[in-house]
Amino acid sequence: MIEPTLALYGDAYDKVDRHLEELLKNTGVRYCLLVDRKGFVLSHKEAIWAPDPPALDSVATLVASNAAATSALANMLGEHTFSEQIHQGENGTLYVESVGAESLLTLIFDSTVPLGRVKVQTKKTIAEVAAILEALKDAPAVEFDEDFSKGASALLDDLLG
Amino acid sequence: MSTINFAAREINCKIVYYGPGVAGKTVNLKYVFSKVPEELRGEMVSLETEDERTLFFDFMPLELGSVQGFKTRFHLYTVPGQVFYNASRKLILRGVDGIVFVADSAPERLRANAESMRNLRENLAEHGIDVNTIPIVLQINKRDLPGALPVDIIRSVIDPQRKMPVIEAEAINGKGVFESLKLASKLVLDRLAKTA
Repeated sequence: MIEPTLALYGDAYDKVDRHLEELLKNTGVRYCLLVDRKGFVLSHKEAIWAPDPPALDSVATLVASNAAATSALANMLGEHTFSEQIHQGENGTLYVESVGAESLLTLIFDSTVPLGRVKVQTKKTIAEVAAILEALKDAPAVEFDEDFSKGASALLDDLLG
Repeated sequence: MSTINFAAREINCKIVYYGPGVAGKTVNLKYVFSKVPEELRGEMVSLETEDERTLFFDFMPLELGSVQGFKTRFHLYTVPGQVFYNASRKLILRGVDGIVFVADSAPERLRANAESMRNLRENLAEHGIDVNTIPIVLQINKRDLPGALPVDIIRSVIDPQRKMPVIEAEAINGKGVFESLKLASKLVLDRLAKTA
């Protein structure tokens, strides 16, 4: 059976959105993304002073793949998981932390933002977002009917001939 | 396992190109990338070795359009075919919704095809996925090779029970590439409608 790994409904989505917005303000980071473990973007926020955003699909895919590889490494080394990843370059930092078992919070920021502050604020946000996502697990599954298949088929014909 | 984001009205599906080394998985993806309209595809990410073999994966997002108000998007991946990269293959199968198995028609690759399918079944099982319940399209590639094995022989080794739909391909020329992707996508979306 195909089931969504994570489904963000209106109210929950808005709440998650607000928490990410707050995190952005409290830390001064450039981008903030919530991605699922398969590499799909669930929600994202960017600071208004940011330059053109990177390809978010690609960022999310690489973050999720990297987290999966890191997790496999942790298991090989006898750890349950390595819950956070930090990649620091000359000018910027990528910070990723798990939000429960299904998603990852990703922050991108430059060298003017102190990592310590990001870590402290992120942990607060994660606790709040994790509780929202946990509550969503009991949400009913979405239903698609035959018209959905027909509509999808027509689009596939248009795109792929 | 498709990720459905109700608030953003998005359906995201993951399709993985699987198969033995140098069967043409990356060639498939590069052809799709070169032919679909720019506004419908994201950037192609290739994590490859110095000799251009896939090290971790190739990746490309593809936008299908809006179905019943849901923006529908496919994420296309290839896996590294070489035997020793199994850890990477296993990771990439996480959350897969559909598979295009790319088989090589060269006579000396018959065993590699069989080995790769066996490996796919094992890796799916480790993710708790029954090979019989997930859409798999069997693309028999390199039909233009001199001495290419008959399709029936290849199929009898990879899919002896003849459960998987077969598409003959020459991915290097684009033949069979869109057909394979279209069929895999259709099976994934049909399944989503039936089982939701």
